[in-house]
Amino acid sequence: MLPVAILVVAFASAALVYPAGKVHGRLRDSLAVLSTLLLVGLIGLGYGAWREVVYVPDFLGVQLVLRLNPLAWFFAITVAVVVSLSTIFSLSYVRHKESADFHYAATLAVEGAMLGIVLAGDLLTFFIFWELMSWSAYLLISCNRGRALDAGLKYIIMSLVGSCAMLIGLLAVYSSLHVLSIPLVAERMQTASPGFVLLVVLTFGLGFGIKSAMVPLHTWLPDAHSEAASPFSAVLSGVLIKMGIYGFVLLMYGLVGLRLLLGLGFGWLTFSHVLCWLGAITVVIPAFIAVLQTDAKRLLAWSSIGQIGYIILGIGFGTSLAFAGGVFHALNHALCKSLLFLAVGAVEHHTGGVRDLDRLGGLAKRMPVTFACALIAGLGLVGVPLTGGFMPKWLIYRTLIEEGSPFLAFAALLGTWGAILYVYKLLHNIFLGQLPEEHRAVPRAPASMCIPIAVLGLAILLFGVAPGIPLRAVQSIGEVFGLAQLKVTLWGLASDAGALNLLNICLAVAVAFAAVFLVMRLGAKGPRVSQEDSYAAGSAVPVGRYHYTVDFYNPLCRMISPYLKDRVDRFYSWLAARGGEIADLTRRMYTGYAGTYVFYIVSFAALLIFLQLVWRIW
Amino acid sequence: MVTQIIQIVLSPLIALAVAVLLLGLSRQIIARIHRRYGPPIYQPIIDIIRLMTQRGISHGALFELGVVFALAGSLVTVLFVPLGGTSAPPGAYPLAHGLLSPLSSSGGLLVVIYLMLFGPISIALGAGASANPNASIGVSRKMLLALAYELPFLLVILAVMSHYGTISLAEIVSRQQDTAWGVVSVPLAALAAFLILPAMVGIRPFDLVGAPQEIASGPLAEYGGRYLALLTVQQGVHLFVVIALFVDLFLGGGLNVITFLVKVLGVFVIAEMINAVLPRVRIENALKFCWTWPMGLAFLQMVVTVVSR
Repeated sequence: MLPVAILVVAFASAALVYPAGKVHGRLRDSLAVLSTLLLVGLIGLGYGAWREVVYVPDFLGVQLVLRLNPLAWFFAITVAVVVSLSTIFSLSYVRHKESADFHYAATLAVEGAMLGIVLAGDLLTFFIFWELMSWSAYLLISCNRGRALDAGLKYIIMSLVGSCAMLIGLLAVYSSLHVLSIPLVAERMQTASPGFVLLVVLTFGLGFGIKSAMVPLHTWLPDAHSEAASPFSAVLSGVLIKMGIYGFVLLMYGLVGLRLLLGLGFGWLTFSHVLCWLGAITVVIPAFIAVLQTDAKRLLAWSSIGQIGYIILGIGFGTSLAFAGGVFHALNHALCKSLLFLAVGAVEHHTGGVRDLDRLGGLAKRMPVTFACALIAGLGLVGVPLTGGFMPKWLIYRTLIEEGSPFLAFAALLGTWGAILYVYKLLHNIFLGQLPEEHRAVPRAPASMCIPIAVLGLAILLFGVAPGIPLRAVQSIGEVFGLAQLKVTLWGLASDAGALNLLNICLAVAVAFAAVFLVMRLGAKGPRVSQEDSYAAGSAVPVGRYHYTVDFYNPLCRMISPYLKDRVDRFYSWLAARGGEIADLTRRMYTGYAGTYVFYIVSFAALLIFLQLVWRIW
Repeated sequence: MVTQIIQIVLSPLIALAVAVLLLGLSRQIIARIHRRYGPPIYQPIIDIIRLMTQRGISHGALFELGVVFALAGSLVTVLFVPLGGTSAPPGAYPLAHGLLSPLSSSGGLLVVIYLMLFGPISIALGAGASANPNASIGVSRKMLLALAYELPFLLVILAVMSHYGTISLAEIVSRQQDTAWGVVSVPLAALAAFLILPAMVGIRPFDLVGAPQEIASGPLAEYGGRYLALLTVQQGVHLFVVIALFVDLFLGGGLNVITFLVKVLGVFVIAEMINAVLPRVRIENALKFCWTWPMGLAFLQMVVTVVSR
């Protein structure tokens, strides 16, 4: 009954939290936090469990099933942890906002829907929760009004296109295989014709691609992520787009199966190839578009698209190493990106809504915890050793190199070097350098903001030193799909060729650090002076205005910006404009004069008579 | 286990010693090319001791930790780069074969390129802890320069790794010792790597990150005293790591530590000759240069490697 209990708790608290807010703010806050923590606990109980519950025995001849297996567990725990931390962060972020009740209710509804997606045991349940998620996320994205309304509209239209495609796929599956339960569909899929399999993969893939914001289906994401409230941006970027990734994993490995999938396509042009190259494009171009951004949240949004590319590359490549890398990176990105969105949210909250990277600076001393954790998360995105990002990226690079795809590996590495640039730009422009005069009075962040950020930061470090913890969970997913086993140890990988032991690296860094630190202590100690007391070759550096942030990477930006226009977005906008024109033409039929309508009716009747006289249809 | 500990202690010490030697030698070589006498070869040692006794100001914990992490990161990188020696047959005593690559089996070349990031990132963060705009300008240049040389460098190492079909640096070295050096088997990649070598170690014509006359030494502007001493050592160790990597990738490593260091010295002297005669370029020119010739050569090498596999 565990899966049912999880969903009941999620949706019941979503329903209760809104009226609770009308009674008292504290009641609402504690209800929201406790229920999200309860969900983390409930899902934690299900570790390693295999459960299947039929919750509606007969719905128009279809059995509706919830099931818990390692794949569902892995994504469910990620969702639950990120949402609970985001809720704790919301406590001080949305306290004084009018829409606070609505924010908590909708966030819990999104959580319930996401948990429903991963726990769904048949495609109909999956689709129902998928739609619930899309719509409740829409409400949250457009909650801020203004530009957020446009962003939300863009999001929901693209989501609807994806949903329609999925619905077509769903109907195709049901009409030709006559089942919807995932294991049965997977079984019958093995004997289906290749054309049918391709249809299913493409229709479902369109829906998942839009949700996970894979290039060229990404255009909703930069607007939606930057316009949503920051705690919800963390959920959006951390876990909501991972539902697309979950969908891909389920579709490629669960429904179609790797054997069938790798042969899917025309000659050398296979589905897996196309997906990998789309992944590679998704890695590279958004990473460099992110470098050009000046809005902190927009930068993070583009970076999310780039990081999704790695996950797609990993699961699209289809070896067990790459699969482990891709799924592990989904977790790593969820942690890093939600931390960064929360950190930017904390900055935004304390500076009165400033997230323009040209107007911030020097906040490291005011917000030390936020800075330290943002640094960890930034390094985690880059994939520096001893952060959670290293292991998944290492796995992906290694597979690509050893399996003979150096160009894909180059794309992956290129994206990483783009990531270094935008991560440093983000950290430097917000936290380092001179503190502008307008932000002198920024207060310290409250504990309810620091705690979620610190928890995420520690988790990234823990998974960096002991990647075996998540890798074991990832490995049991691979087991479900019958992938080859990796030799996972707590500290990394043990294998004959190319072992990796992060404990070694950790110890080496610790010892070297201690040694250098001791040597430094031997030297003469100088005084600590204020940050502004700096050297400028004889002239004084003006204080509070000379933070070098505007056009931080000017020479590079001038070189690459002509090539990095988002043409896809423009194409979709053009398409939408043409659609609008056609709709406008149709509208002109309704003139408002009764005479015109009579004319329509008469001419239609005349047409019918004409058809009957000439061709005798009826 | 004991062998490994000896190796782990020995290789950073060798790196430190060679780093200081290279710094002194660099000033000598440049002076001689400029027809000056130049300072004695042990001048960096004098400088470091002097700096350690001088009281340099500090801007806080991040400012100090940046320096410590930078040097620690560079020293850790040394552990992953083979410093000469032939791989011992299983069961044999590794030190007898002069093998000095204590951790190079762990993660391979991919770990090395990531560990090489520790230095620049730490210095950037430390410099950012001050409010000196010169430091920020220097860091911005460093990031761009890193992007400029990393693209061809990544292509180069991907070509080498694909050519030998492994990500292990130790195996790449031993394969070269069995057959031909990298210069012969992947010549275009070797040429590309040599062209970006000055940019990687930050010497002329690519010394625009420090550029004392323009931005008051950039990231190092605020550092003095013991911090500057450690950063000087860090620069030397970084120089050593980059050249050692070049020797390992293209010149077959070394049969023992001595031959390895001789090769390092050879590459270093050639690089210093370039350093002595060329003027500084601007960052745009550095980007353009790195992305045309070295990038083109490395790309060509990669195509050749992929096609010939």
